[in-house]
Amino acid sequence: MKKILGILLILVLVSTTVFAAGTKEETGKDVTLSVLWFNDANEDEIFLNTIDDYLQANPHVKLDMQIVAYSEYDQKLKLMISGGNPPDVARITTNTLSVVVDSLEPIDNHVADIEAVKAQFLPSMVAFASNTKGEFVAYPTEATANGMLINKSAFDKAGINVDEVSKDWTWSEWESIVKQVVAANPEMKYGLTVDFTPHRFSTLMYQFGGHFLNKDQSNMEFNNPGTIAAIKWFKHVHDAGLVPKSVWLGSENPAELFQAGLVAGHIGGSWNINTYNKNVTDFEWKAVRMPKAEINSSVPGGKFIASFKGSKNQEEAFKLMEAFADKAHNEMYSRDTFNIPSRVDAQVTYPSNSDDFEVFLEELKVTPAFTANEWKNTNLSKVTTYIREQIVEVLLGNISAEEAVANVDKKGATYFK
Amino acid sequence: MKQHTKGNFHQTAAPLLFLLPNILIFGLFIIVPAIQGLRMSFTEWGVFTTPRFIGFANFVELAQDTVFWKTFSNTIVYSLFTVSLIMVYALALALLLYKNTIKGEKIFRSLFYIPSLLSMITVGIAWRFILGDEMGIINYLLRQSGGSGIPWLTDGNLAMVSIIGVSIWAQAGYYMIILIAGLQAIPLELYEAATIDGASTTKTFTAITLPLLRSTLLVVMVLSTIASFKAYELISVMTKGGPGYATKLIVQQVYQVAFLEDRMGYASAMSIVLMLIISIFTLVQFKFTGKEQDYE
Repeated sequence: MKKILGILLILVLVSTTVFAAGTKEETGKDVTLSVLWFNDANEDEIFLNTIDDYLQANPHVKLDMQIVAYSEYDQKLKLMISGGNPPDVARITTNTLSVVVDSLEPIDNHVADIEAVKAQFLPSMVAFASNTKGEFVAYPTEATANGMLINKSAFDKAGINVDEVSKDWTWSEWESIVKQVVAANPEMKYGLTVDFTPHRFSTLMYQFGGHFLNKDQSNMEFNNPGTIAAIKWFKHVHDAGLVPKSVWLGSENPAELFQAGLVAGHIGGSWNINTYNKNVTDFEWKAVRMPKAEINSSVPGGKFIASFKGSKNQEEAFKLMEAFADKAHNEMYSRDTFNIPSRVDAQVTYPSNSDDFEVFLEELKVTPAFTANEWKNTNLSKVTTYIREQIVEVLLGNISAEEAVANVDKKGATYFK
Repeated sequence: MKQHTKGNFHQTAAPLLFLLPNILIFGLFIIVPAIQGLRMSFTEWGVFTTPRFIGFANFVELAQDTVFWKTFSNTIVYSLFTVSLIMVYALALALLLYKNTIKGEKIFRSLFYIPSLLSMITVGIAWRFILGDEMGIINYLLRQSGGSGIPWLTDGNLAMVSIIGVSIWAQAGYYMIILIAGLQAIPLELYEAATIDGASTTKTFTAITLPLLRSTLLVVMVLSTIASFKAYELISVMTKGGPGYATKLIVQQVYQVAFLEDRMGYASAMSIVLMLIISIFTLVQFKFTGKEQDYE
């Protein structure tokens, strides 16, 4: 009996080993790619759905997705890079890109014809994703723009045809119109909310003819008439009660205020189309062209995926990113995330809101090219939090707009030494 | 002679051996990083650049940095109010709940203790929903009843009051438990003797309870002081240090300078100053309250 049991055990061991070896041979070398990700909405799920066919065709590739809150993202990524343990793939914004650009592995080293690859993407996206040597360091996944979303039902209730008035309106015209809208809607308290970020404020700054940096980007030049005018106007609309103080002074979420029907408009990123499409059911909303001051302008931005110098599985990481950035996958991802595609050849039919995307694209078309160059400047990214604080100091009445821009230039100059 | 050597081992070497793991962990995770931080404070260093020795330049810049000194004064105000009010509130709760004479006393203890089990991020998010200007529950109720909202988080002074209040709410339960343990350790005979002598409640409190609770109060004071100097999550979630600089503490500024402005050396200099301040506060507390107590 013992003999039979022994023989059976040996048979089991041998057969297990044979089958195990067979499985290994079929799948090739298993690779687990570490992917660092953040979400605006549910992009991680859509990313996984989009590349599902790639993963099915490459069963030896597994993904270890680490989702990090956006507020913690830059710090986490920087610590991983400086600790010598960067992820294989990471989702990054234009802001993050300017900080980690020198740590990114150039795509140039992994493709035969880099110019052909670059030609596939929007020029502003290529500009963002290029380092100082001109190397292409990240695959653009979606283009973003700042724009205005309004509560159409509230405008209708005030008897204002928002499509008509917003075709070519100025901020002073907007002010009188939005006062009528608020007056006609008792539950509505404010005309506009603007995200609590320097990026969104810069939309107004560019419209008023302002800028952050001098022409050759060798130093800060926040102290200029356009920027001062924008800050003063921003304080005026806060003091006049047209903009809620709770966002820039109290960190309340502007999207929540808009969704609650408390504000007539929201200057935010194009990803809000996706958010509002899901969350707003009580009223009709839409994107409209932003009023102009000196000029019309948005601020271009985008999201990218990239690998790093020192990433452990670069070969498989680049294969995955190349597949994700191709036309079919980019169209699918843009459609499902409700984003503007980053490729020039993408043809996206959104399930809804195509007109809203068209408005954001129109804003991008009239945006001066230097805005993208400013926002990819590494030194500017180090002073943006201070800029936000100084604008709040003006809103509080603690300092003047002139003092704020002078303070920013003084502080910013230390990074341009 | 042999006996004597063995005695020495048990009295000196053996305790040290038992302490060794703790000493190693403390050295590795506290002392070494602190020395490294001190070294970094004399350098100009970004995360992706090589450190460059610049002597005391960071400390000279710090002396002239108005934002740092604003965060410094905020930290002192926040700590003084938070620590003193936590001590009063936690002691009051402990005095009410340590005797097991009130019905449902254990339930009350749990209710007051539960907030200290929550993460400060959770506490911050919850209270932001309560105190928010436009979307907050309190202002909603005030407006529904015909009043106007109160700028809990958008007025600089009220924002500081709000975060101090929430900090006390979140932490007092933890210190209450420590004080209850301290109160229960006071021999009952002393109270019995005081009663026989006809001492009033106030006299009993000032002549017996407070003196014998001194070392426990010192622990509470030191722990809550250190916690208040390191308060980060709650304020980041509730006010982001605002409005403006109204509630920004040194730790928020250290984070911003290190990770957003990419100046690790300068942030290290700030941390060294923060460490010195905490050390001075703690030493002063020990000096004034750390005398030996005698139960006899």
